Amino acid sequence: MSQKSCTSCKRITTKERCSVCNNPTSSNWSGLLIIIDPESSDIAGELNINLPGEYSLRVR
Amino acid sequence: MEDLKNSIYALKTSAGQERNVARLLARKANESGVGITAIIVPESLKGYVLVESSTKIDMQNPALKIPHLRGVVEGKGADNNGNIISFDEVKKFLKPEPIISSIKKGSIVELISGPFKGERAKVVRIDESREEVVLELIEAAVPIPVTVKADQIRIIQKEAD
Repeated sequence: MSQKSCTSCKRITTKERCSVCNNPTSSNWSGLLIIIDPESSDIAGELNINLPGEYSLRVR
Repeated sequence: MEDLKNSIYALKTSAGQERNVARLLARKANESGVGITAIIVPESLKGYVLVESSTKIDMQNPALKIPHLRGVVEGKGADNNGNIISFDEVKKFLKPEPIISSIKKGSIVELISGPFKGERAKVVRIDESREEVVLELIEAAVPIPVTVKADQIRIIQKEAD
């Protein structure tokens, strides 16, 4: 199953729709970002991410 | 300048194994609590992953025994806090600029995929909203416009003379 990225929140999933925000997903994405601890991560703060998980850096 | 608690380290990996290393590292970080808060795998940086951590990355740590992980990049520190990589540098990777913004009308490009792979072409029109470019193959006898996605081309010459 190919991995897809949500076009809105950039979360990586295998489903057709994002499980968090229910927006459609796209298989055309690049760059990987794994957030482990969103509360103490500066990167998560910069990108306004508050859920741990895998995200893409760019999605089309 | 915002107050930053964490440092960012660059880890050397085998080429092509960046995502695997990042996912293994994330699993290990969850289990053992190494202090890693985020991992970045930028597409433009081959052979490296960037790790945000609240503690110093020590390769002797058994939690960091990961296949294809070659080591941590040592350096003097680019900013005043002694961090190897400054947060401003990482921001560039977090918001990558779309390729299309660097393409100009008249640029000479090479197609890197599709039926015309390896052919050289000249950009005649750019559709920024759809991230598409219209090209004219240089070596073709009759100029036929070809529409391709911006990620299917590589820029050879920024602007035509």
